[in-house]
Amino acid sequence: MAKTIMIIDDSASIRMVVSIALKKTGYEVIEAKDGKDALGKMTGQKIHLILCDVNMPNMDGISFLKSIKQNQNYKFTPIIMLTTESQEAKKQEGKAAGAKAWVVKPFKPEQMLSAIEKLVLP
Amino acid sequence: MKTDPVLQTFIIESSENVQEMENSLLQLETSPDDEDTINALFRAAHTIKGSAGIVGIDNVERFTHIVENVLEQVRLGEIKVTGDLIGLLLKCCDHIGRLVDILSEGEDKAGNPDLEFEGQSIMEQLTAYIVADKDDLPSAQKDTQGVAGERKEISSDNRMVETGNWHISLKFSRDVLRDGMDPLSFITYLSKLGEIAGLTTLHDAIPDAGEMDPESCYLGFEIDFRSDSDKQTIEDVFEFVQEDCEISILPLHSENKADPPVVGAAPEKQEQIKAFKAKEAKTIRVDTNKLDQLINMVGELVIANANIDQQAQRIRDNSLLESASALSRLVEDIRDRAMKVRMVPIGETFNRFKRVVRDISRNTGKDIELVISGGDTELDKGVIEKIGDPLMHLIRNSADHGIEEADERLALNKPGKGTIRLNAFQETGSIVIEVSDDGRGLNRSRIMNKAMERGIINPGQSLSDREMYDLIFEPGFSTAQKVTKVSGRGVGMDVVKRNIETLRGSVDVESHEGVGATVHIRLPLTMAIIDGFMVGVGPLFYVIPLDMVVECLELSEADRQASLKRNYADLHGKVLPFLRLRDLFNEQNGRPPYEHVVVVQYAGRKTGLVVDELHGEVQAVIKSLGRVYKDIKGVSGATILGDGTVALILDVPGLVQTAKRMRKV
Repeated sequence: MAKTIMIIDDSASIRMVVSIALKKTGYEVIEAKDGKDALGKMTGQKIHLILCDVNMPNMDGISFLKSIKQNQNYKFTPIIMLTTESQEAKKQEGKAAGAKAWVVKPFKPEQMLSAIEKLVLP
Repeated sequence: MKTDPVLQTFIIESSENVQEMENSLLQLETSPDDEDTINALFRAAHTIKGSAGIVGIDNVERFTHIVENVLEQVRLGEIKVTGDLIGLLLKCCDHIGRLVDILSEGEDKAGNPDLEFEGQSIMEQLTAYIVADKDDLPSAQKDTQGVAGERKEISSDNRMVETGNWHISLKFSRDVLRDGMDPLSFITYLSKLGEIAGLTTLHDAIPDAGEMDPESCYLGFEIDFRSDSDKQTIEDVFEFVQEDCEISILPLHSENKADPPVVGAAPEKQEQIKAFKAKEAKTIRVDTNKLDQLINMVGELVIANANIDQQAQRIRDNSLLESASALSRLVEDIRDRAMKVRMVPIGETFNRFKRVVRDISRNTGKDIELVISGGDTELDKGVIEKIGDPLMHLIRNSADHGIEEADERLALNKPGKGTIRLNAFQETGSIVIEVSDDGRGLNRSRIMNKAMERGIINPGQSLSDREMYDLIFEPGFSTAQKVTKVSGRGVGMDVVKRNIETLRGSVDVESHEGVGATVHIRLPLTMAIIDGFMVGVGPLFYVIPLDMVVECLELSEADRQASLKRNYADLHGKVLPFLRLRDLFNEQNGRPPYEHVVVVQYAGRKTGLVVDELHGEVQAVIKSLGRVYKDIKGVSGATILGDGTVALILDVPGLVQTAKRMRKV
């Protein structure tokens, strides 16, 4: 069965690029436009990996990460944070919150896929 | 371009974000310190930049990146919000908006000089804001420098370690699972880069069940890894865990570094490694001792089977005979397969000589190519191990003495590039290895002179080509006019011959002057069990390797009388030298009324062996006679028959030689 990946980003075009690439590789994709939206869409189904932007309205990536670590259903889900190189401070904050995997924006779909495959194969 | 849904989404989204930026900026005019508004402004710019980067709209990304940098500092309070700044940022919004509009019109992105000029001037003004602040730019530069420095270090590291063999030690942190990382997934990913040749799981860190936290990871791994990837690539596999885990990636034996001659051979080597890898995936390594034991047991099985066969023959019970013959078939099968287990292709041994030939070409200045064929021919491992030295000698001889200098070759209408061929193939019961060159061939008169000089032949003695060429295998015979460092020290072909004979093989040479020479090496298929033909002389049994038996004749009384004096008989109109085993082995018991001649052939020569009785085919498990008896002429080993009787195995090559010598005398 195809593995499910959630992409959380406030940019619709990033979500689109990512989800096209993921679907082509054989993953199922759930899109969410911010942390709050994502939490609302996590209804107990198995999610194998979460790609999460840092800077988002409503609920940013770091807060989302913290809330996931408290969630019994999803606390072992690998999370890749998407960030820009200019956000070193955010990165430190994210690391403190338990984010281990980072992909720097802008990325090519291939870069993102190879990062994902280190954690979850399609 | 217009129909690309991703681009459409980007355009709509970016237009919205530009609008958002504008709104925020206008709001800031009235309340310049409102944090939420600044954040919203920053986020909108950030999103435009991020999307542009991923969708691949470079000019938007580049421009917005600068805008974002300024906004970042505004957010951190490093740049004060002023009316001028807001004015400038509003211009930025307009510019981004135009860049995006152009996309929707489907125009060439780079093709608008006015817009580009405008962008350039805004960027300069923006940078002025950034430069006004001391820390930022230099620190950004420092960063990139730092990264570049690191890269350089890594790449110099790489140069040392292009071995393809790695040892990776991993010790995952306790928290790795809680961090959402599965150790297995990294190892699975690793196997995409190459082959995991060995993996040991270290579990000694696992505490007692009572203390163990099921959410913690206590495991470590030692991995032997084969891959063409560089160290950086392998390190990158673990990039997400490298901060909390102990990881060491070490190259194994970096022997092939920086040796210039090797560099040229590197692609070839890579190919070899690849081929080797492909093969190795389906093989396992077994201690040769275990194999030898197995083959020994198979030997015993063959003997036991022969015994059962004999008993069945004696009892003459039909169903027993049937079972016995079914068993025989199976045993024969097992024997063949067991022997095959020890067989390995000779290709690898052949390939070693590519380097040898290369080096010789370099040292001698000759242009020589080694052409290899029949590399997949299989030989007993023991034979392969011992055949290397003789082959080395033959190849050096060919390269050094056989192949002429390039100008000499051209003068002879030969291609300037000399060719040495290595070929192997199977031929009835034996493996033939040929080393041939297209050089000058053997020089008959020089061999003749040398042989007379050494007293090997008498002046006036006429020899066939074959006999002449065989002289080069005589001890101390070397016709090379000058001793070079590659070959030709007078110890040579006789050693080659001896080495090959200890493998129960034979060697001969064929040559055409000016065209080239070919050395044929004949080796037995197997070393341990042979199909034999059993004969009797007096009360004793002897076994002749079956693949050397050509035919059997009855020696009539008349022939016998005639042959007593001359030791040769007439075989289909040709002279057949023969040997009386009875005389050879000093058998004193009375002669039977009839004798038989077993015609054996070895290396193209036929010889008759006169025996008392023919017993037929047997499978003979070769047992060595031990060191004490190793010099006995005419016998190469012994075997045990089904009833426990010992039979001696005849050394046909030796006997053929003896017959030849007797004929000369």
